[in-house]
Amino acid sequence: MAALTATAPARPRKLLASRKTRVGILYALPVVVYLLVLFVYPIFSTLLLSLKNTDGSLTLHWYADALTGVNLSVLITTLRISAETALLSLVFGFLLANAISRLKPLWAGLAMLIVVVPHFISALVRTYGWIIMLGDKGLVNESLAGMSAPGAPYQLLYNELGVVIGTTSMMLPYTVLLLYGVMRGVDRRLLAAAASMGAGRVTIFRRVYLPLVAPGLASAGLLSFILSLGYYITPALMGGPNQTMIATLINQQVTKESQWNGAAAQGVILLLLTFAGLLLVKLVTSLGASRRKRSAS
Amino acid sequence: MAEFGIAAPSVKVAGGKPATATGKSLSVVALRKTYGDVVAVDEASMEIAAGEFVTFLGASGSGKTTTLMMIAGFCEPDSGTITVGDRDVTRLAPQKRNLGFVFQQYLLFPHMTVSENVAFPLTLRGVPKAEIRKRVGETLEIAGLSGFGGRKPRELSGGQQQRVALCRALVYRPPVILMDEPLGALDKKLRDQLQVEIKSIQQELGLTVIYVTHDQEEALVMSDRIAVMRNGLIEQFDTPRELFERPRTPFVADFLGAANFLPGRVEKHTDEHTLVRLDNSGGLLKARRHQLASGTEVKVAVQPGRLRACADDDGFCTGTVETATYVGTLVRAGVRIDGKEAPLLRLEVPAGRGPVAGERVGITADPDDVNLFAGEQGG
Repeated sequence: MAALTATAPARPRKLLASRKTRVGILYALPVVVYLLVLFVYPIFSTLLLSLKNTDGSLTLHWYADALTGVNLSVLITTLRISAETALLSLVFGFLLANAISRLKPLWAGLAMLIVVVPHFISALVRTYGWIIMLGDKGLVNESLAGMSAPGAPYQLLYNELGVVIGTTSMMLPYTVLLLYGVMRGVDRRLLAAAASMGAGRVTIFRRVYLPLVAPGLASAGLLSFILSLGYYITPALMGGPNQTMIATLINQQVTKESQWNGAAAQGVILLLLTFAGLLLVKLVTSLGASRRKRSAS
Repeated sequence: MAEFGIAAPSVKVAGGKPATATGKSLSVVALRKTYGDVVAVDEASMEIAAGEFVTFLGASGSGKTTTLMMIAGFCEPDSGTITVGDRDVTRLAPQKRNLGFVFQQYLLFPHMTVSENVAFPLTLRGVPKAEIRKRVGETLEIAGLSGFGGRKPRELSGGQQQRVALCRALVYRPPVILMDEPLGALDKKLRDQLQVEIKSIQQELGLTVIYVTHDQEEALVMSDRIAVMRNGLIEQFDTPRELFERPRTPFVADFLGAANFLPGRVEKHTDEHTLVRLDNSGGLLKARRHQLASGTEVKVAVQPGRLRACADDDGFCTGTVETATYVGTLVRAGVRIDGKEAPLLRLEVPAGRGPVAGERVGITADPDDVNLFAGEQGG
């Protein structure tokens, strides 16, 4: 360091990393403006809309509306279907990602491509694909009937099963991508180390592997839950009247009834639910961490 | 369950003597492993006594790690048997062998605290909670880690992490503990310190340890016996002193002692000595008595530290000092020998009396320090 400052000009230069500047904030300006105009403003105007009465006074009755009667049951259906979707896409995503993470890099890359490529196709097209597959005369029912499965054809569309099949398939690439990343990060020699100490396969899975991928499971589950909450096309096309989800309801209010205020209230509720989901996961993980800390000391 | 060593009484350390030898013997018979055409381990056999510290020493690709992995159960031998105590474990899965393993990369469970890591193998064995707490505490204390129990592995230094890994491997008193270059990722000073610590824990607890390293000094410092491996073969399996003083192959002499080699021919024998005519200088070298016929072509091997500079015509050859490097307590000298091909001999002599560059010297060695290898044996 002495040698460096000796050769440097009179004013010693600070290390780049420790240099503080007020000019740097300017670089963020375009993004800040972009977010203010296209994100912060719309959200606040929506919030305002949801609190405004037809005569312009403030009210909470749009929220009261959104949380009673049919609207409430739509909300509950939305939560239930999202939870089912999250759970199923987590289970299938885990199995798939786990299998892929054991493949050789080349094959793993190929498998990931197969998982992700369908995602490049429009959700609408994929949904119609499912509708063709799952109909009474669709591939699934025809094959089942061919194997003379009792009760075939099954009702696989326009009910909750149909919606969950559809949304799960839409969420699967996300969960697989997330879990695959986490699983690749797990040092498989840790599993060998556990085996060397006498742990069997089940114990290794439960006490070493699962805790190591748990953060990935939490974030993948949360992501698919949140994405399902606001999912529109698939539930609308593959569900029946009883599977109306909140996004569909909002759409109906805006396009058919021009009921912007109610729609805004429901939008805000959707947003709050998403926040609640995030908070819940945060809570669960930090709770788990503190519990482990206590049991250790 | 007794086999898992749960019933073993806790070890009270007193005067460095094993209170209870927890280690068991291990025997390996004709162990062989091939990968395609490559023979990784070729008919390795050895008997390791209970409480013994044995090192597999060799360069990478010598088969030392493969042998260890076969003993651990991480890779399956093509043929041969592995016996721990009197239990044949050759075809058992790693988790059924009840051995301890310390990895070079520590491999502590990152989501568990230090205590939980050390307790892990005990919980697998159904040890009661109070007993686990006691044993974990004792083990951490042995390794000088009391007070670190609540920390996460990532909060520890490399040396501390490896100590935890060591605790985790010995807390359940496995009959044999296997260590795969456990100090390879640490700096020299820490390595020296941990060598001593591991050795003293091993002696205190009477552990049977198999240790893999490519570091000769480490092997010499720690081991009761060393198996020098090359190309899948055990070149020599002996005590450090025997390996150093009486290497059986030129490879061992070179690998452990960094010996100087000179070609020559056995001239005659006296009662105590074998006399060798050196090819290049024509000088006559006195070695301890070897069972070699007169006229046999030999390689003479003498370690740098066992060669001495002397008056010009007192030695078995003469030469000119080319380099003399002061390295603290020693001077390392390179001496160009007069005669055919003029090989360079490496000498290590105590500093102060060391030769200087350009000086003419004679070179001599104690006959007892001279090893002879017949012909092209072992190259």
